[in-house]
Amino acid sequence: MNIRFDFVVHWLYAILWALLAISGFAMVGAKYGWILNFSYATADYVHRLSAGLFVIVTLASIVYEVWRSIRNDNKYLAWHVIGRSGYQLFTFIVTLILIITGALIWICIEFNMAGIGFALFVHEYISYIALASVIWHIYMKCHALTWPKKADSRKQKA
Amino acid sequence: MLQKPWFKVFVWFMAIFFFFLAAGVVISILKPGPSEAEVMRFMMGMMNAMDNSMMGVIMNMEGRGMVASVIALSSRIAVPVMIVSLLMGFGVRLMQRRDAYAKQKEN
Repeated sequence: MNIRFDFVVHWLYAILWALLAISGFAMVGAKYGWILNFSYATADYVHRLSAGLFVIVTLASIVYEVWRSIRNDNKYLAWHVIGRSGYQLFTFIVTLILIITGALIWICIEFNMAGIGFALFVHEYISYIALASVIWHIYMKCHALTWPKKADSRKQKA
Repeated sequence: MLQKPWFKVFVWFMAIFFFFLAAGVVISILKPGPSEAEVMRFMMGMMNAMDNSMMGVIMNMEGRGMVASVIALSSRIAVPVMIVSLLMGFGVRLMQRRDAYAKQKEN
């Protein structure tokens, strides 16, 4: 079985993004607390651990893309999460903004409250845009949800 | 891989998860409130996280000098690192262009 790097990264990224999204939205405010039954500690744990893994996966994708660029490999990778145009470029920019603002919120919580406020604002609103874009992405790629036809498999068996 | 039934189930699960999450966010935005009880539960959760989660650990760590000095150092070197990486990026692009030109000439 030939499993490609971009395919694995795509689904790892999807799982991590799902965990980050549910835990992150549960921490936005009191109105959102019901999403994880007001368990802020769980949300905090899940968000921080997934964020660490998310940064590693993003870094691996960037290194892979730079390596491809140095090798003059311009082949389009359909499953890759970051790229040079379209939704891949959008994902790359959004990811970088989320990582930078997330790091600011995590690290600078005692240094600069105005900076934290701005980072929180950007982090939250970019997350809404990213979630909406994920729904759009699923809608555009909904052919991946179609089940393999049974009639075909019967024919193959025959 | 994408045609395997177990993977199809996984793809369906992910799609449904995101749709439900988006619905949850829309409900949270549009619903009235937050009520006093919700605020209390949220604040209690936050206080609990200070004791039983990484949040408290991180906040204690930030009180110490070493992490502060690492952050100060990393913020000082951030701009030069960005400039160097931009220059390296342009370098790679120039190399690619030169290689493409050389290939064209060969042909």
